[in-house]
This record gives sequence, structure tokens and C-alpha cells, in this order.
Amino acid sequence: MERIFLKKDLGKSLEEYDFPGLKNVFKMQPQQVISKIKESGLRGRGGAGFPTGIKWETVLSIEDDTKFIICNADEGEPGTFKDRFLLENLPFKVLEGIIISGYATGSKYGYIYIRGEYVEAIKIVKKAIEKLYEKNILGENILNSDFSFDLKLVRGAGAYVCGDETSLINSIEGDRGKSRIKPPLPVFEGLYGKPTVVNNVETLAAAAEIMNYDNNPYSEMGTEKSRGTKLVSISGDVNKPGVYEVEFGKLTVRDIVQELAGGVKGEKIGFVIPGGISTEILTEEELDVPYTYENLQKMGSNIGSGGMIVVSSQRNYLEIVKNVSDFFRDETCGTCFPCREGNKNISKIVSDIYKRGYPTSKDIEIISDIQYAVSSAARCGFGESSLNLILSLFEKFYTKKVEV
Amino acid sequence: MKVKINNREYEFDHEISILDATKNAHIKIPTLCYSEKLEPFGSCRLCSVEIKGERTLKPACVTKITDGMEIFTHSQRVRKTRKTIMELIIASHGISCNLNCLTCSKSGSCEIKEVAEEIGVTEIRVPPISNGLSEDQSSYSIVREPQKCIVCNRCVRKCSEVQSVNILTIANRGPDTYVTTFMDKGMGNVDCTNCGQCILECPTGALHEVYQMDQVWAALSDESKFVIVQTAPAVRVAISEEFDAEPGKIATKQMVAGLRLLGFDKVFDTNFAADLTIMEEANEFLERFKNNGKLPLFTSCSPGWVKFLEHNYPEFIDNLSSCKSPQQMFGAIAKTYYANKLGISKEDMVVVSVMPCTAKKFERVRPEMKGDVDYVLTTRELAKMFKLAGIDLLNVPPEEYDEPLGISSGAGAIFGATGGVMEAALRTAYEVITGEELEKLDFEAVRGIKGIKEATVEIDGINLKVAIVNGLGNARKVLEMIKSGEKEYQFVEFMACPGGCIGGGGQPIPTNKEIILKRMQAIYEIDRSLPIRKSHENPAIKTLYEEFLEEPLSEKSHELLHTTYVARS
Repeated sequence: MERIFLKKDLGKSLEEYDFPGLKNVFKMQPQQVISKIKESGLRGRGGAGFPTGIKWETVLSIEDDTKFIICNADEGEPGTFKDRFLLENLPFKVLEGIIISGYATGSKYGYIYIRGEYVEAIKIVKKAIEKLYEKNILGENILNSDFSFDLKLVRGAGAYVCGDETSLINSIEGDRGKSRIKPPLPVFEGLYGKPTVVNNVETLAAAAEIMNYDNNPYSEMGTEKSRGTKLVSISGDVNKPGVYEVEFGKLTVRDIVQELAGGVKGEKIGFVIPGGISTEILTEEELDVPYTYENLQKMGSNIGSGGMIVVSSQRNYLEIVKNVSDFFRDETCGTCFPCREGNKNISKIVSDIYKRGYPTSKDIEIISDIQYAVSSAARCGFGESSLNLILSLFEKFYTKKVEV
Repeated sequence: MKVKINNREYEFDHEISILDATKNAHIKIPTLCYSEKLEPFGSCRLCSVEIKGERTLKPACVTKITDGMEIFTHSQRVRKTRKTIMELIIASHGISCNLNCLTCSKSGSCEIKEVAEEIGVTEIRVPPISNGLSEDQSSYSIVREPQKCIVCNRCVRKCSEVQSVNILTIANRGPDTYVTTFMDKGMGNVDCTNCGQCILECPTGALHEVYQMDQVWAALSDESKFVIVQTAPAVRVAISEEFDAEPGKIATKQMVAGLRLLGFDKVFDTNFAADLTIMEEANEFLERFKNNGKLPLFTSCSPGWVKFLEHNYPEFIDNLSSCKSPQQMFGAIAKTYYANKLGISKEDMVVVSVMPCTAKKFERVRPEMKGDVDYVLTTRELAKMFKLAGIDLLNVPPEEYDEPLGISSGAGAIFGATGGVMEAALRTAYEVITGEELEKLDFEAVRGIKGIKEATVEIDGINLKVAIVNGLGNARKVLEMIKSGEKEYQFVEFMACPGGCIGGGGQPIPTNKEIILKRMQAIYEIDRSLPIRKSHENPAIKTLYEEFLEEPLSEKSHELLHTTYVARS
């Protein structure tokens, strides 16, 4: 772990951790907290990258007795495990972030929704919540302030699509984990129809960290559009897989793979999936791109969740595509037609390609049409992005090479 | 608010969906999961349109217009996207040699076919993927063929939003998402009322009635059997739609002729039995009213409604009229009085009903009245039989019903529409109580398709509070209001289906609000055109009482025409 921003608190116990951010926050007005978050330039770390301060401000501006904060810890993107790292190693900072966002938005209730497979993280966070109640960092009049906040842990039943905030809300309410129609956005009508902030684990930890300081060092890191740092989880064919904190703009994708993750295991890099399997791949030739939101977008890809997967050139790419397409086929919620049927059909087509060993030009045409339709018309981000990797891989490796 | 649709400016004074806005602009956007009566759901995405400034397409059914919005309903991106989605839908629908359009229950009313044509699908590049699910044949009324289901949720939503019955649901996730019943028990083993509204809603052939056409064909060709048929009031105003006539075209006499051409030995009318029902039910009401019996009295003509009450409100069972429905009364009279008259045995007589209703198929096999009716055909099934026999229904020379069980009054005819039973009963009750002739026969207050109607009717100085309820969701509302004491009535008519029998689950597809209204007009037109409009003035009914039943609520009546109910909760 390359430690830049969150380093000093890593592995601290509750006795050692004294909630500096939260203590600062209680000296401020909610709007001041939000201004500081806005000033930091923090963007949502779940994948969509929406400015956190604006989300909080919207909820603060709505007058309602009941508002909710949800910490989205339903991390399910294959290759992404930075939230788990935070939950297991810095649970207090995550919880601190949740309480801070509650204070900043005028919400008295919070949920942390952790994917069911994170058994260890669930244990740790559960214990942490109990301890915070004991020490009056949760509950009535936190730390003798006027602010009261209750937090509940909800264990996900194991659906990737619950990472979509509206699916997650449905799941907490006890309904099927399927996306809702937007609008209304959750900030206006979320959990139980009330204004709701849904933030990623990393976003909230970063928010807590930002509130530690009188000045705003976070905003001074990174680039104009990508400020601060990002946790990158690297896996695949690398020598040192793990979670690394990266300052935006300082390193290229190649640097991250070579310098932080110890380089490729195998002959050479075939391609890199930069942000989890719903992002477009980068070929070996495309790796000298600085790691920022804007630069990856220029390359037709995305930071996504920060789950970087490195694939060696010795791998069977079709096997990877097959795994990815099977994953999306199984994990679509099944409510909207293009996503359900699109992923189902792609998975079948890819499976045929895998058996055959190569795609035909007709396959590529159908895959590209289905991707076009699904990304244009799906009901939520899951469908919009589910075929990105598959199509980009075929376009970059197979379009010109194979003809029947 | 001003919006541009395909570069033309339109103005709307309030916020509406893009779909409604384009309808106003006379632009048709294809839809599959959308249905006028249901909450917009936004799952098929065929109505996706392009909006200037938006990254992705937006579904027109759930997206509201905003001032200055620029909408493109058929842009290149929209057309391409729709076409691909449609291809995927068709592939998911499992079209193959075993399951093709020709043998499908919806071959003549297939929405997929219609929409595919609107979208201009010219090829299906992806092969069908079967979900491997097997048919649900557990119900006496409704068959599910899940291989044809495209999971549009319309049946689920209709059952829940309109009927409040909630027996259908979505299970599983992703490619395994499918529509099923509670614990996969099958339609016959859950609290299904058999109303068939799901069938009307289904855009594919995934839901249809349990067919009895083959059994009826067999009976018709069996020379040892005397096969008679009764036709419900709502069939005559709808069947012509299956022959491409305008909704609301009355085809009573052509239908009678057609039934004779099919080979029925006698063609009778359920309207006769409806008159009989009124005699019994109006008198039952008067008896309860006079003797402080259980009130309000609930009508019991609609077997979907009866089963709904048995499942959900068994505490109200004593409020149900003990009268059998007209279908069952007809069967009971046919197999006793009429069979005796002809001198043929009950066993040699086959009674076939033609009903606008799928729940009648279940009612037929209820142990309380088993044997009254042998087979039930829906309006759709009868149309299929006419077509199979080459009967050009609209051009067949008209014929009259047989006597005596084909003689009926206008009061019997209006049973087909919501409010009809109440109106028919009031016509008779009024005259029985007052001994005076009713001047104005039309009780306008009980007419129309509103879900819950109320009226106060003065008879002989007594104010009767009545209510008319159609659709089971409304039935639930009214029962809850009665339970809580919020409402007090003496007599309530309940019909399971929106609009009453004319909107029944066995009627031609589509059955929508506009069509129901036209069928309703036709029903009242039939009533107006008849010389006899009160049940107790039906001469055949009078004779029946004189020769056989003696009087309403007699011992014989109770034996043949009344029934009991069971708590099913």
C-alpha cells in the first residue's frame, strides 16, 4: 500500500483513533462542512464520479424530518476490493465519514450495506458500530453535541446489481434488488421515499480524512478535474497484487502496474482493465495514459471503481471475455429487456466464439449492435456499462484480424 | 410548457409523460410493457426516445416533459436501438418449430407481431433461447405457457394493481427471471380467482384459458348426446370483434344461427337464467330485509368475485347471496325441468356454456354444483370454433333462440354490464314491494364504468342504499369500508372484472376501456329494444314457476338454484 492520504490511521484501534474529523465537524455548520467537501473536489468513488459536495448539498437543502445516509459497501465488481480493504483496516474512518455526511445533510439515520460475501468485514464493522454506541459516537447527542445519529448494518444477499443505488435502496426496504426508474433521484426520493445520500465506502473515508485538516491538502493533490487520491486495487497477472493509494495524475497506468504492482507476471502485458470489468480495456500500447478521470475518458475508458486487472499476453482472451459475459448474464437484475436479453444473448454468442476459437464478422456486428442498444436504453448503470469490456476487447483485438 | 417533438413545437399546460405528449401529437411510439390501466413500468425500453442534451435514451412512458425539451421519437439512434431490442425480445420468446405463431393462442391478437411490424424488424440475427420452463396446467381456468413469456410484468401488475389479488410474481434474477405463482405452486393451487384479467393483459401467448373446444366438438359429433348451449349476455356484444367488426356490434342472432350450424340441438340464452336469478335474488333480498337477515346482501353471479371473497374475506360469506349464478341455474333447470319435458335422461344431455369469463370454467367444477354444466367456452373459443367450421358469422342469416329457455327480458341482458344485476333486481324488487308498476326502468345512477358506484333508491318510502363494484381491487376497498363501518349498504353488486362481464377475462383481445364502453352501449341498446324488460314479466319464467318451481325460494328452488360457499383462507 502506497500511503499518501489515509496512511497514518491504518490499523488503528478505537482506543488509538479519536475521530478528529468528526470533532472538527461539530464546530462547523453543515453548510460549512459541505463547502469544504466541495472545495476538496471529491468525486464519488463508486464508479460514476459524481461530485460528493453537490449530492450532500442537495439533500441538506430539502426540508424533511427524515433523511437517510447509506454507505454503499456492496462492492461486487470483479477485481475491485478497495472497499473491503477500508472496511477491514479503517472501519472507524468509514463510520466517521457516514456520521459526518449525516451531520452535513441533516440526516439522523444511516445504513451501511455490506455485501454478504464480506464476512470478515461485516464482523469488524458490526463490532465497530457497537463500540461507537458505547462511546457515544453513535446514538443520542454524539460527543455531547446537539447531533444524534443512528447507524444500522445491513448485509446484502449477494446481488452485484445492488451496487446500483436504487437497487440497494430496494434491497434495504426488503424488495427485490432491482433498479428503480430515475427520476426521482434518491437525493429527492430515496429510502422509504425520503431524501437519501448514497455514498461509496471510499468516498466517505476520504470525506472523513478531508475534515481532519484546517486547510485542504486534498484539493491540492491531483489535477483540476481529478483531485485527491484514489485507492486502486490491482489483481491479475501482476507480481504484487493489492490495494494502493494513488495521487491522481502523478502516475500513468503503466507506472501503476510496473512500479506499484511489481510488473506483469508472464511474458508481457496483453491488456489492462483499468476500473473493473464494466470499463473498456487498454491495450499494452495504450498504458502510458496518466491515471485521471479525464485522461482515461479520452482513451475511451474509465476510472470506474478502481479495480485494475492486468492480463498477460499469454492468456486466452476469449476465456476472459466468456467469464465476464457469464458474470453479467447472471447478475443483471432482469427487469429491463435490453439488459436482461442483451447480456443473455451476448453470453451465448461469446460462448460460441470461445468454443470456435475466433469471432466472425457477423458476431462482431451483432455484439456491437447489442452493446449499442443496451448502453443506450438500459434502465441503470449496470446495463449501460455491462458490455463495454467485451466490445472494446473485440474491437481492439479481433475486428481486423479475423474473417470467415 | 413548450416542447419540441421531432422539430415541431407543441404546448402543454401541465406536466405529462413524453408518451402522452407524443400521443397528443399523433405520433405513435411502440410499447410492450406499457398498459393504459397500469402504472408505467419502464422495462421494455421500446418507447425509448432521444432527448437533446441527454447522454442516453429515455423511456417515454416514465419520463416527464420539461419546458424546452427537444424530443426525437424516431431518430437513427432510436430506430437502431429499438430494432435490436425487438430482435432480442423475439429471440427470448422462444419462437421455434414447436412453438410458432400458427398454433399460438394469440395468433390473431399478438402484440409482439404488431410491435415488430411498427419497428420494422426484418431479420432475427440471434437464435431463440428457451427458458426451458414447462406449462402450468394446474388450474381449471387458466393455462400458463412460460416459454412464451417475455417477462413484461403486465400480468403481475394487473393482478396486483387492478385486482389486488397478487398471485403472480417475479422470481429469480437475470436470465432466470420468470413469472410464477407463490412457491411455484401453479395457478390452480394459489389464491387465483380465475378472473382471467392476466390473459387480457398478456401481449404474448403465455397465458390463455383452459380450452374445452375439443370436448365440445366431441359432444357435438356424438349422436347419442343431446347437446344444448347457453350464451351469456356479454358474449353477443363482443364476439363480432373476433370477425373484425367494430366493437359494440350486436351479433346475437347471427351467433344463434352460427351455434345451430355448429350442430347444437338447442340454442338457449343465459339471459333466461339471469331473469330466474333475479326472481330468486330479489326475493332473497326482500326476505332478509324484512326478517332482519344478514345485510348487506352481496351478489353471487361472478365466480371470480365469489372465490376472491372466499379467500380474502371469509367473514363475509353469509353476506353472499345463496343464489347460484345464471350459468349454474341454467344448467340445473336444463337437466331437470327441461330434460323431463323432453323425456331424455340427464346423462344424455350435454350443457355447454359460452361465457365472457374464465372463472366460469372453475365454477363449473365446484363440488357444490358439479354436474349442472358440462363444458364452458369463452367468447374467444366460440369464435375459434366458428372459424374452424367456416362460419362467416357476420353474414349468417339471423335466427332466434329456442324456447322456452331462450326467452328473456331486458333485465337479463343488462347482467352483462356492471350495475346490470342491481338494476335488474331493483326493477323487480320495486314492483314486488310496491305492487305498482315502475315508471322509469333505467336506473342511470348504477350505470357506467366507474369502479365503485353508489345510489340510494327509494322504494315504498324506504331508502335502500346500494353499491355497485367492478374490479377486485375496488371490491377490496369496499369490503374494507364496510368492515370499518365507514360505509353502510343494504345491497351490493360485485363483479370481478373491470366493466363487469363485458370486460371479462374470456372476451376478445384487446379489451380496453374504449372497447368496454362500446360493448356497454350495445348491452343497454339490447335492453331498450326488448318488449319485456323486467324479469318477473318473462313468460317463460312465469311458466317455469307454475309448472315446476312453484314460487321463488321454494323448496325446489333451494334444492336446484341455491348453493353454499367455503372459507378458503
